[in-house]
Amino acid sequence: MILDLGDIRAADAPRVGPKMARLGELAAAGWRVPDGYAVTADALADWLPAAAQAELDGLLGALIPAQAAGDPGALAGISARARELVEGQPLPAALADAVAAAHDRLEQRARAAADAAAAGVGSGDARPGAALRVAVRSSAVSEDGAGASFAGQYETYLGVSGIADVLGHIRKCWASGYSAHALEYRRRLGGGGASARPHALDLAVGVLELVDVRSAGVAFTLDPVTGDRNTLVVEANWGFGESVVSGQVSPDHWTVDRATGDIVTRRTGDKRVWSVFSPAAGLVVLEPAAADRAAQPCLTDDEVRYLARQATRIEAADGGAPQDVEWAIARGLPFPDSVFILQHRPETTWTAGPPDAGAAEPAAGFDPVRYALRNVFRVPGA
Amino acid sequence: MPFQEDAPRIVPVDDFVRDELYPGYKQPFGGQPFVAGPVRPFSRADNARYWLRDSLHFSEGMVPASIATLDDAQTWGAQLGAEIVGVPPTRGSVNRLAGTHVYIGTIDVDTEWQVQARAARFGQYVTPILRDFDSYWAMRAGELQAAYDYLDNLDFSAMAPAAVWTALKDAYAFHRRAWFIHFEVMYVLTANYLAFYALAEEIGLAGSAVSGFLAGQQTFYSKTDEELWRLAGRAQELEVTGPLLHASPDSMRAQLSALPHGAGWLDEFDAFLEVYGQRTEETCRIDTPSWIEDPSAPLYAIGTFLSKPTGFDFFAARQQAIAVRDEQIEAARRSVNGADLARFNEALASNQAANFAWWNEEHNYLIDRRAAIPVRRATLELGARLAADGRIERPQDMFFLFKEELYGLMEAGVTAAGATWKDLAAMIPDRRAYFEDWKHRGPELPTMLGTIPDTVPDPIMIEVFGLSGRFLEALRGGADRGGVAEIRGFPAAKGIVEGTARVITTVADIHLVQPGDILVCGGTTTEWTPVFGIIAACVCDTGGSLTHAAIVSREYGIPCVVGTAVATQAIKTGDRVRVDGRAGTVQVLASGQ
Repeated sequence: MILDLGDIRAADAPRVGPKMARLGELAAAGWRVPDGYAVTADALADWLPAAAQAELDGLLGALIPAQAAGDPGALAGISARARELVEGQPLPAALADAVAAAHDRLEQRARAAADAAAAGVGSGDARPGAALRVAVRSSAVSEDGAGASFAGQYETYLGVSGIADVLGHIRKCWASGYSAHALEYRRRLGGGGASARPHALDLAVGVLELVDVRSAGVAFTLDPVTGDRNTLVVEANWGFGESVVSGQVSPDHWTVDRATGDIVTRRTGDKRVWSVFSPAAGLVVLEPAAADRAAQPCLTDDEVRYLARQATRIEAADGGAPQDVEWAIARGLPFPDSVFILQHRPETTWTAGPPDAGAAEPAAGFDPVRYALRNVFRVPGA
Repeated sequence: MPFQEDAPRIVPVDDFVRDELYPGYKQPFGGQPFVAGPVRPFSRADNARYWLRDSLHFSEGMVPASIATLDDAQTWGAQLGAEIVGVPPTRGSVNRLAGTHVYIGTIDVDTEWQVQARAARFGQYVTPILRDFDSYWAMRAGELQAAYDYLDNLDFSAMAPAAVWTALKDAYAFHRRAWFIHFEVMYVLTANYLAFYALAEEIGLAGSAVSGFLAGQQTFYSKTDEELWRLAGRAQELEVTGPLLHASPDSMRAQLSALPHGAGWLDEFDAFLEVYGQRTEETCRIDTPSWIEDPSAPLYAIGTFLSKPTGFDFFAARQQAIAVRDEQIEAARRSVNGADLARFNEALASNQAANFAWWNEEHNYLIDRRAAIPVRRATLELGARLAADGRIERPQDMFFLFKEELYGLMEAGVTAAGATWKDLAAMIPDRRAYFEDWKHRGPELPTMLGTIPDTVPDPIMIEVFGLSGRFLEALRGGADRGGVAEIRGFPAAKGIVEGTARVITTVADIHLVQPGDILVCGGTTTEWTPVFGIIAACVCDTGGSLTHAAIVSREYGIPCVVGTAVATQAIKTGDRVRVDGRAGTVQVLASGQ
């Protein structure tokens, strides 16, 4: 029902999703990753009370006929009602108790680590006495899989604390599976309202300690622009990595030579916003950045070289496939203990085929016909 | 569409309403298999729609014979292209004539079902072409070239008159086919370009930057200009610059031949014409000669280059244009991340492989400036035979006969309206006078007639002719043009320059442009290209991101503002002006008078 991170291995991917499975493998191999636990997909599969399941099936089943009847507002309306319904359901007592127990274990481990931090090693979140802040992450079990990718269809919540809020955000993760774009995505893939149980989702949830982050970002083991595998790329901003991953900032950018490990190019970004924990919201939010920090590099050269090297080691451990590695650097810890790996996944843009072969062929991301019909000629429904 | 009594928005067509196209010519409506509608004179119903003066392509007016070639091109070719490609919102363009001058309008697709049906087949048609544009264009270009190989090499001198007439019919058939190809390719490439434009806007880049990403690919015309500069350099080496700078076109060749190295230089020039001379100065106009027939245009261009104190380093200019382009692409890549970056790279690759900015220059030598030359040759040859028979006075009289009249006379000895050779020969002087009269009225004609719309759905009208919302707004406010301090347009090529304005309303006056002038004109086409080597900046009434002036200015590294709507009326030759190509503004600093 619940798996602590230390017990998760690659073989658990069908239960916890590939994202959590890869993180478990990293932890087992001794990498510094945030501690946590996973609520498995099978534990969540039937969490909704039967009455709510039936009501959801009715709601979602009405979607396709409503859209076919030309009701453009149907999707938004049905999505809003489905999410409200789901967020209002209590988790089954047995599941809630198991999550509470796992969360209690996590808090104990974090306290132990914080105590040890005085001796120079420990986790990022060194705020003695404060409730542990966690990230509640959706982890789709079909995500990054061979078939359809549900990456990005579910939501993640950063900065949650206290068992009550954790339980609430697990429900919110599930509810995000009925967002308008997720429903539309599933409809296009032939799921959703067309299946016998339209409410069913293949979703696990990861609860991970929130690193008390100073700077965060992404490392690529190839140049994502050119596909050049001799070049490693590091992109970063102050604060949580969400501002970088979501593309809402022009991040600091370094390229590193794979063979020598030397920094080849460096460019300080225009970091006008950053992701930061807001005590008022109780969550991580995007805020304007102070001008002096916006123009200041957020990593040292040593950190850049170290991150690039760690990314190539993860690549080697994952069979040599180019990787996209998310990382964070914690405040108040000595380098390199400050560096945490948050997740990694195979880089797909360039591994789908050799760049030359695909150059002239409009691929899935940019279909000129689709753009022309939808954005230029504004054909309704295109 | 109801007629709107919205006075400032309507420039009535009433002054141009005619029931004849030319004296003695009433159009046989319905006699031609048009997709949407043939070239016609204005009727009062046309007040309900917009009509843009196409001074971009046709600045001097059309003789009767050129109305058939116009019909093939901007009317039939565009309509068939839009129909076959399945462009969802438009059936293509349609033309009206004010006297002899061309106005262009578009035909919207106005039912939802048709839009959807066209959208479905649009994808089927466009996708395979964009997958391998090189092969596709090689096929079409090969077809065009094969036709020229046949038609250009016909030996008329050995032909009986009936065979010349057959050759003319073949030339007409080819001309129509060439213009279908023109619009077929143009609609496909425009869609690719505009899709990139839309993607750029979606991922937070400026759509107007996209054409800059596609600059720097060499075209047949950039090679032509390079050759003209080379010939200017050779003229200096061989010391034959005098006649090129000072002689009149009629005596230039004789004066050159009289110089010690003149004959040698003329041999090089003739070798140039062999390769580059199959072009005319205006589209569809069979009354204009090719460079081979009349080389004064390239000779003038060489003379202009010689009058510029320093040469023009094409290699350096192209390297610079490519460096600027690559810098812009890199800057764009740095500002987007992850999936957006991958889509940007795909869109860029698709547009580099099927590049509208390149094709828009390149295709002219195979279509716009060349397709009518076989029609012209066969027409003049047939005219020579008819003049020898006493049917007409001289070969050039053929330009004043409509194609339908010629068909009737050649095939049945009488036109559909019952006119004989004798009747028509008697009308030719009137028609010639009519053409001359309207030719002088060209610069005074309104930029737009009919009802000025709020928006135009046809993407070619927006990006090539510049009918943006801002342009239309400028036209609506166009009554007050006196004392305009700042003119706004589309920022087509960056850079800031101050200088003296030279207002040119027809390509025939292009020789008035002096080195360092700021060219102010309605719009430019390929035959204006050489002048970009000497001007300091370019300002146009019409045009969008894909306009000739925008593309060429980037190649030559000079500031350019297009789509101002009013520049040629608000600016006078001699005015001191400041052009800001990045902001898209033109300021009149001081009046030249």
